Amino acid sequence: MSRIGVFICYCGSNIAGTVDVEAVAEMARTLPDVVHVETNKYTCSDPGQEGVRNAIISHEIDRVVVAACSPRMHEPTWRKLLADTPVNPYMLEVANIREQCSWVHKDREVATAKAMDLVKMAVAKVARLQPLHSTEIPVHKKALVIGGGIAGMQTALDIADAGFKVTIVERETSLGGKMVMLDKTFPTMDCSACICTPKMSEVGNHPNITVKSYSEVENVSGYIGNFEVTIREKAKYIDYNLCTGCGACETKCPQKVVNDFEQGMSERTAIYKMFPQAVPAKPVIDAAHCRKLAQGKCGVCAKVCPTGAINYEDEDKLTTETYGAVVFATGYKLIDWKPLYPEYGGGAYPDVITGLQFERLVNASGPTEGHILRPSDNSEPKDVVIIKCVGSRDPNKGKAYCSRACCMYSAKHAHQYLDKVPDGRCYVFYMDVRTPGKGYDEFYMNTLHDGAQYIRGRVSKIYQEGGKLICKGEDTLTSQQVTVEADMVVLETAMVPADGIDELAAKFTVGRDADSWLVEAHAKLRPVETNTAGIYLAGTCQGPKDIPDSVCQAGAAASKVIGLLNKDVLQSNPQISHVNEAICQGDGACVGICPYGAIQIVQKTFRENSRKVTRPVAQVNPGLCQGCGACTVTCRAGAMDLLGYTNESIMREVDALCQW
Amino acid sequence: MTAQDTIRARARELLENGEVTTFIGWESGRFENQTTPLVITDASDADKLVCNEYCVNTLAKYARDVVTRGKVGMVVRGCDSRGIVRLINDQVINREDVYLIGVGCAGVRDRKTGELLKKCAECRHGDPVICDEMAGDAAGRPQPSERFKEVHEVELMTQPERSRYFEGVYAKCIRCYACRDVCPCCTCRECFVDQRRENWVGKQNNVAENRFYSLTRVMHIADRCIECGECERACPMGLPLMKLNRKVIKDLNDLFGEFESSMTLDEEPGKLITYDLVDCEEFM
Repeated sequence: MSRIGVFICYCGSNIAGTVDVEAVAEMARTLPDVVHVETNKYTCSDPGQEGVRNAIISHEIDRVVVAACSPRMHEPTWRKLLADTPVNPYMLEVANIREQCSWVHKDREVATAKAMDLVKMAVAKVARLQPLHSTEIPVHKKALVIGGGIAGMQTALDIADAGFKVTIVERETSLGGKMVMLDKTFPTMDCSACICTPKMSEVGNHPNITVKSYSEVENVSGYIGNFEVTIREKAKYIDYNLCTGCGACETKCPQKVVNDFEQGMSERTAIYKMFPQAVPAKPVIDAAHCRKLAQGKCGVCAKVCPTGAINYEDEDKLTTETYGAVVFATGYKLIDWKPLYPEYGGGAYPDVITGLQFERLVNASGPTEGHILRPSDNSEPKDVVIIKCVGSRDPNKGKAYCSRACCMYSAKHAHQYLDKVPDGRCYVFYMDVRTPGKGYDEFYMNTLHDGAQYIRGRVSKIYQEGGKLICKGEDTLTSQQVTVEADMVVLETAMVPADGIDELAAKFTVGRDADSWLVEAHAKLRPVETNTAGIYLAGTCQGPKDIPDSVCQAGAAASKVIGLLNKDVLQSNPQISHVNEAICQGDGACVGICPYGAIQIVQKTFRENSRKVTRPVAQVNPGLCQGCGACTVTCRAGAMDLLGYTNESIMREVDALCQW
Repeated sequence: MTAQDTIRARARELLENGEVTTFIGWESGRFENQTTPLVITDASDADKLVCNEYCVNTLAKYARDVVTRGKVGMVVRGCDSRGIVRLINDQVINREDVYLIGVGCAGVRDRKTGELLKKCAECRHGDPVICDEMAGDAAGRPQPSERFKEVHEVELMTQPERSRYFEGVYAKCIRCYACRDVCPCCTCRECFVDQRRENWVGKQNNVAENRFYSLTRVMHIADRCIECGECERACPMGLPLMKLNRKVIKDLNDLFGEFESSMTLDEEPGKLITYDLVDCEEFM
């Protein structure tokens, strides 16, 4: 026989203003198993809580119903209170008579009747609850950061500075990501490499950070505090313990390859560092293009290497380690505009370039040593057209979203061009100019003062005529056709998630939106967490961002990781799915529906009808299960039950509601 | 040699060699047009097996009941084989648990009128979708032109008409659960109607509880129904149960694209039991 205590709150006039609290209390006294009913002005206040505690002792209450505000608000308060009493903290049901009753109704009679129903339901449910106990999950005090761009590096540094070990997995041969490709950063115009490369070297030299360059995540299992991650380190063909990074091999390599770092505007050798300041500052051999590896002839680099570090027999290495937390910092790439925009030449005109190509052209260490020259004939362009929103805000061709950073970097490109080519003319075709950010609008205004001509409208066609690129567009402010004869066109293309994000996110069961950006747990209140506990987001993998925002988010993700790794053990949430193995058929309907990959089918042996039977049944991983309940509604047999919200207790709630 | 002769000969061989422990087929009763399912364990009983156009029962579900005794040999037509695929895909039995002798099926006739049964007139796959060997040739019967004909009839009714229509149906239901017992999709170890603690559905025999039973069963088999029509044939009250089953299948087809369940062993998991971030949630 259970002894239920019901505590009903006035919440000042928040509830009592619309609900006749005393009438609800009177009704509650008539409910089965209710031994004590109490009303209070503010149940959550200190004296209110003391009243609950005393009533539990004096009336020997073993189940508690609190009729007050939303459980989102004060359920943790009540759980904490019950932890100090003989009542199990999970023998509690909160009836929300504020947010879902008094606040949304005006009619006192109706609201009171509804509050009574809610209390009836809570009493019916609490009578069926079972005590639950959380277990302890150990935490491996080590973090994995996927991606070595500015967001990944900042996250790693912040975690490492707090005293925890961090591994960065970077699939390129060097840290740096996209930021190190940029020339200057808005709005302060400081040199991107000058602020990024010191971070790279700090990461490379940090005693708590291990950099795994040229590596990718192969496999993942486990859960918060205990992610077992297998990392594939691709064959570099160079022994990094012997290599001193002298660069002799790079100067002698006879094979020339298109340089991706320079956006295809120059060539590199087959044995190469991505760029001079690369970290690790040691080369790798590009196996696809190396003459020795592809054709078996050459071997020049091995001959010139003074330390004998070249190893043509090198193979991919797999290592498995356990991490307590994982941070995604996988970044973005630029949308492939060529198939989407045939009206801009679809890539046929060499002088129609992307913003990132412009960054390399204007960069002192780029292919033109910082002189803005047309890729087609190395002449200085006198008329430059910049087109914004290529692929962004264009749901018909590209993406519906705004890529956020392009308004500012197109202003920066205009400014840089007018700075380097004082007699040049720059036209910026735009839809809107969006400059929210510290010092951003001032920067844009400066660009206007520099003489950049902003034309509100899109370019509808570009074609080549006598060495000029004819840009046809519309000025929507004057409703006139505009034709610009340009020497060079810069397309400010949309950001899209980095290649392979779908597969990687699926391995970690991290959610993606329709555009494959990773989804945060709550758009406002949990912006760096994911729905999978222990996995966090930093930088542009979550959505387009500029550098300050990426660094901010990196710091936020790091603080979450530090908070997690600071704990020796985690208290598990006991309100998770439970399998009734007697009726589980093992058909796995729950496996596919689980958003967290928490359920698997295992073979188990049972004694049934005096015989040993081995049959498949579902098994829930308590570390991964978040208690969402998707499996409980999917299981036809009802073998899945969410502890704390059991099928039975919910049916009794429905029964209570349907009685009259 | 007729298909029936082949089946008898092979059943005898399989039982004699010990390749199977039991064999499931049909036997005739007093008359040739009255058949019942037959489960034999002795090779000498093989000559009791018949295979003709009056074998009304779909055999798949019997495999579940005898599989614990050892490997099962059985005769399969289109419907039987899809039932077996269903059982395997639902992890009720394993592929190695059954040895399947396929026969082509041109449809089964009513033993009184000699007319093609409704379920066979609507059948889209007369020939087995999986089997280990064939007895005789595939029938290669043409598919009926319209899969959802009876659904269209219901859809054309106005809402009150439809409500009255189904109320009439559920008023007649006696909750004997024959539809459930004969269904190859209904393989739960404990059916929701028998779960007393949760008490999902009341025991009372009235329109409300009968409707709740029927709707729940329809949703439970929605993306797995093999459209064998056995529920409708087994119903002692003659209720048009396939109407609702096909309505749900049609809706699933409209929402998630054309599909037919239980056609292969490696079919994709049902649309109702998979999680996808881009699933439509227009109700949210």
